[in-house]
Formats: sequence, structure tokens, C-alpha cells
Amino acid sequence: MKKIFINIKRDTNKWSILLLTIVLFIGIPIITIFINLIYGPGETWVHLVKNLLSDYLINSFFLIIGTSFFTLLFGVLSAWIVVRYQIPFRKQMQWLLILPLAIPSYITAYSYAGIFDYGGFFEKIFNLKIDIMNHFGLILVLSFSLYPYVYVTTRAFFLNQSKNIIEASKLLGAGERKTFLKLILPLARPAFIGGLTLVLMEVLNDYGAAKYFGINTFTTGIFRAWFSLEELETAIYLAALLVLIIFIIILLEKRQRRRIGYFNAVKNHQQIKRIKTSKIKQILLFIFVLIPVLIGFLLPLFQLMFWAFLTFKELLTLDFLYIAFQSLGISLFSATVTVLFTLFLIYFSKWNRLKYVKSIAKIGMLGYAIPGAVIAVGVLIPTLFIDKNIVLFFNDFLNIKIGFIINGTILVLIYAYMIRYLAVAYSPIEASSLKLGKSLSETSKLLGKGNLYTFKKIEFPLLKPAILSALILVFVDVMKELPLTLILKPYHINTLAVKAYEYASDEMIAEAALPSLFIIFTGILPILFLNKVISKN
Amino acid sequence: MLLEIQEVQKKFNNGNVIALNNVSLNLEQGNILAVVGESGSGKTTLIRLVAGLETLDKGEIIINNKMVSSNSIFIEPQDRKVGMVFQDYALFPHFTVFDNIAYGISKLSNKKERVDEVLQLVGLDDLGNRYPHELSGGQQQRVALARALAPKPELLILDEPFSNLDIILRNKLREDLLKILKKTKSTVIFVTHDIKDALLISDDILVLQKGILLQTGKTTEVYKKPNCKYVSLLFETIAL
Repeated sequence: MKKIFINIKRDTNKWSILLLTIVLFIGIPIITIFINLIYGPGETWVHLVKNLLSDYLINSFFLIIGTSFFTLLFGVLSAWIVVRYQIPFRKQMQWLLILPLAIPSYITAYSYAGIFDYGGFFEKIFNLKIDIMNHFGLILVLSFSLYPYVYVTTRAFFLNQSKNIIEASKLLGAGERKTFLKLILPLARPAFIGGLTLVLMEVLNDYGAAKYFGINTFTTGIFRAWFSLEELETAIYLAALLVLIIFIIILLEKRQRRRIGYFNAVKNHQQIKRIKTSKIKQILLFIFVLIPVLIGFLLPLFQLMFWAFLTFKELLTLDFLYIAFQSLGISLFSATVTVLFTLFLIYFSKWNRLKYVKSIAKIGMLGYAIPGAVIAVGVLIPTLFIDKNIVLFFNDFLNIKIGFIINGTILVLIYAYMIRYLAVAYSPIEASSLKLGKSLSETSKLLGKGNLYTFKKIEFPLLKPAILSALILVFVDVMKELPLTLILKPYHINTLAVKAYEYASDEMIAEAALPSLFIIFTGILPILFLNKVISKN
Repeated sequence: MLLEIQEVQKKFNNGNVIALNNVSLNLEQGNILAVVGESGSGKTTLIRLVAGLETLDKGEIIINNKMVSSNSIFIEPQDRKVGMVFQDYALFPHFTVFDNIAYGISKLSNKKERVDEVLQLVGLDDLGNRYPHELSGGQQQRVALARALAPKPELLILDEPFSNLDIILRNKLREDLLKILKKTKSTVIFVTHDIKDALLISDDILVLQKGILLQTGKTTEVYKKPNCKYVSLLFETIAL
């Protein structure tokens, strides 16, 4: 025991302490939620459990099952088709299939509400009225806007597979269908389940689409408990329950990943060969991959462009441009802060010598799994606590009356964004850092240079592409973010996402198009950039 | 003694894997020590401990009469005056050959002269402006050696210096390396799994198997009097 303490003393350096401080800073919101559970729920909790909880659970369950089915169907099959078959416009379809990610699901929801509304395109063309503002409509909207997560991970997996495996299967007498169902699909399971996990996180995080379609989910429930019933305690209980559900999903994903040890078993391989089928089959396959692109991207985009065309003269004012710049500024600043904290986490953990503390940096991966509304609850409680005590201190000891210092400022919002999107930046930077290997930085140290100098001269220049892609990814996510922003944004600040939400909530859905389009176009370019990076790797 | 290692132990995987178990050795100034063993024998762990790239679980490491590693002391690698050539050479890809070599002597007033001097030593006088990817494997290794020698380290470590080279180049470089090391009077530990390298270059030898020190001493003596079957088999492979 004494030896362990001596070792801890020897191995503790300033980086260990800095790492622990940052981990605490990032972990506070989650810790807060669980600590606050001991105070018990609010008065309406019993009512909520009796009347609404089953609704939240059943709705969330249906959403999970429905979106899982459709995202897997379109994500996995589209990925297989573009990798395996020669189809018309194959190259274009490869990246078009990713583009629905550029449209936040709440914006897809608004545009479909318009397309199927009285006097909407659907009624005009087919003279038919279909009500989509229900569970099934929400499932379709979420599925077609989120399937690219499954498509991207599965396609990357297919691209990494060796053609030998298919040829071996063929030589054993299996046809194309049997090879796909019995061999390729089970092999690709870790990849598509990984993508599906991201889809489910987004489904459970969604606020805008569910609210607009009038479906009660956990996230809308948290908002209702907090703002309509004004019971933060109840919101905390709901948040904790939601976190529990998400952890179960993550645990299941980890379990299935562990069971499959042969993921990416083949290295230095020749890629799967594309096959040419009959013209009719080619066209049918093309139509299949066109469906998700059409529903998830092109149709909502045309609807939004139509609305924007009708409204831009009134909307494109200085005020709008001011909001656009605010949005860009906040997103850029938040992305920079997030990337900075990611680098702190990764490098402080590397420079720290305490082995028990090293893996703690993985906390950076946690935020993305926790819905924005939950993070908002977790951020607000401790910042309110600090603010209240500062006010009390000034009042009691200095006899000066002041207002809140932290709450209501942009700092709280950026802090929350940072926690939520740390994982988005963490993955590409950590992967590149691992790829760089240890020997370059170790050589630098053996040549007499310290950690910071080594980082500045050796690691940073070589990590620039990864840092840039992390910056872009977080930037796009912050631009789109809604639930967290709605709760934490200061009064005088507005973002395009909030503006679109406000217009849509006020039944001014056509007016929501312009800010939505702005968000979409700032998202398309980085997604194409990301696609290039994935294809390269 | 330039290097003293006393009963060093290192475990990995929460103590489940013993990489080195009570290994001790002494190395005199100016001598070349070969650390021999198959993969997983603990050779790399041993040199990483000496360089300060790992912390030890038990024992002591003393370089030039200064305690650098023990249960309570750990001197950072940048403060040990140990140079190292990695198996993959670890040349900084975004620096020229000149900048790679100058990296460790940035504070030296006659930096340029020193870089030219070591470039000449390794026979690459006119390649200072090239980038690492523009060099052959053998040239890259010489640059890595020049870079490690430039700050005049008290101890030089070479990790499998010939493993990435083809057989013809290997023989040539072995001779060149020996000349350079003797000319610079360097104290060297070099790791190899090829006993031939050890016989041709080293003064002293240390044979490891599964983290245990089997035999250490003057290379010629160990060659003549192996103390166990494993060591004698090791030398027999050359005779074959």
C-alpha cells in the first residue's frame, strides 16, 4: 500500500492535476443531475408517472423501433448497392446519400408538414390529403433525415472489406443474395449498429420535430416539466431516466461489438469488385438509392427554396443578417473552445503519468450520448448555484446588490455546447493522434524538448487536418443545435436554428425557410469535405 | 560505470504481464551493449525504461551517477541526456534533414557547424535540404543516427537499427555504424533479435527471455561459455 502511494507521488505531475481539473469541469453537469436526484422529484412527479410517463416510454419505444427499421433498411442497402453494383450516377449518389445530414430533422419536419398541408404540393399534384403529423410521420421524417449515420459507417466498412471474402463465398457455391445475407450482413453488424446507435441518440435528443408533430417524448417532457410546470426537480428525474435508457443502448452496442471480434479482420486487401447487372436491374437499384436522397434531401430542399423565394424580400433584412452573423460567430467560437478542450483532454492525459487516470479522458466521449435538454439541466443547476452564492456574498458582506453574473450570459451556452460536442471533436483528433504514433513525440523529448514545445513543433503541424475537420464538424453541429440553445441562450442573442423554430412554432412556416436554408448550406460543404476524408481512409 | 540498472521490474496489464523481472546490468563508458532476445522478451521495455519513456515498478536506474528512475524518483526523458534511434527512425516528416538534425541543438550557437559535422560523419553532407520522404531507407537511418548524435548524448540507444533494411545494405551499414560509434566514443545500448549483429558490433551482451535475464557479460566470453541451452542455441544459429 505504501509503495502505491510512493508511486502515485512519483507519477503525479502538473498534467495529472490539470487533467483532473478539466475532467471535473466537463463532468459537473452529469454529476449534478445524479446528485440532485437525492432531493426527490417535484410535486407533479406522481401525476406525470400516472398520466404521461407511459406515453413518453411508449412513444420513445415506437420511435426507436420505427427509425431503427427504416434507417437500417435504407442505410445498409444503399451502402451495399453503391459499393457492389454499377448503377447510373453511382459516384454522385455516393455523396448525395450523405446530404440529408445537412438538414436538421426539425427542418425536414417543417418542410414535410408544408408539403402535406392543405394547399401543399402533395395535395396540388395528387389531389389527395394525407395527415403526417403523427407517430408514423415522425418516424419517417426522422428516419430519412438520420439514415446517413448508418449509410456512412456501413459504407466505410464495405470499402474496407476484401474481395477475397466474397470470392471465397462464391466458390463455396453461394449466390449473390446468400453471400449478402449470410456473410456480408453479419460481418457488417458492428458497423451498422455503430451507426444506428448514433441515430438513436439523435432520435432521443430530438425536440423540434417531435414538438412540431405533437408527439410527447422524454425531451419534450423535460421541456414541459421545466417550463410549463416550472418544476426543475421533475425535469431532473426525467433527464436521469433518459440518461439511463441511453446507457442501456450504449451498453448493448458495446456488448455486441465485443462479441464480434472479426471486425476489420483483413488488412492490405483488394476492394470488393463492382458487378454489372442488366439495365433494368440497374435502374431499379438506382431508384432504390434515389428514394432516401429524394425524401431526405431534395424534396425538403425544394420546398424550403420555394418558401424562401416567397418570403426572402421581407425577411432578408439587416436584423436577419445580424442573427446569421451571431449564429456563425457563436458556432465558430464554440467549435474553437470545444477543439481546445479536446486537445487538453487528449494531451494532458498523454503527458500525465498516473496510469489510473489516463483512461479518464474518455469522459470526452460522454456528452454526445446525452441529449441537449439533459445537458442544459445539468449546466444550469451548478451555474445557478454559483450565481446565487455570488449575489448573496455581495449582498450580505459588501451590501451591494448585483444580478446574476454567469447565468444569462453566452458563457453558459458555450460551456454546454462544449460538453455536448466534445465527442464530435474527440474522435477524429484522437484517431489521428494515435495514427501519428508515439515515436515522433518521444524522439522530440529525447532530444531535450518539453511537452508543450513538442506539441507546438511536431504534433500540432501534423494534426492540422484532423483539428480542422473536428472544428468543422462541431461548427456544423452547433449551427443546427436546437434544444440546448432554446433553454440556455441569453435573451439578447438569437441563432438561426432558434429563429427557424420560432417561425415554425408561430405557424409562420414559410418564414422558417430562409434561416433553415442558411443552416443547410453552411452544413453541406463540410459534409462533402468529411465524405472525402472518409473515402480517403 | 555510465549505466547501472539494479533489479528492475516492469509489469503491464494491471500487473498481469511481467515484461521484465529483476534485471540488473552495468555498462562502462564507451562500450557497446547488445540486448538480445526474441519478440516479447522485454528488450524494448528495458530500453524504454532507460530512456524514461516508461516508469518502473521496482528497482533503480542510474545514468552517469545520477539516479533517473526508482520507486520515488522519475527524471523526464528530456532531462536524461539519452539519445535514441527508433526502429521506424521517427524522422519529423515536415522538417528537412537539416532541421531534423538541428532540432535537438536549437540553443547551440554553432548549430550549423554541428549539423554539418554530424552530416559529414554519417556521409550525407549534401542531403541537408531534402525531406525524409525523399530519402532511401538507409539514408533515413543515417539521418536518425545523426540527429541522435548531434546533442552529444551520454548514452545512445538504438532500437533494432537494421530491421527495416535489406540484407546487402544491412552488412554495409553494420560496418559503417560501428566506425561511427567508435569514432564518437559513444556509450551505446542496441537492441536486436539477430545474434549476428550482436557478435559483430558489441563489446557486451545481455540475453533476455520472457523478461528474465539469462546471461550477461563480454560478448566473446558469453559466446565461448554460454550458461544455458537457450544461449548456446542462439549462437549456434550463426554457425548454421
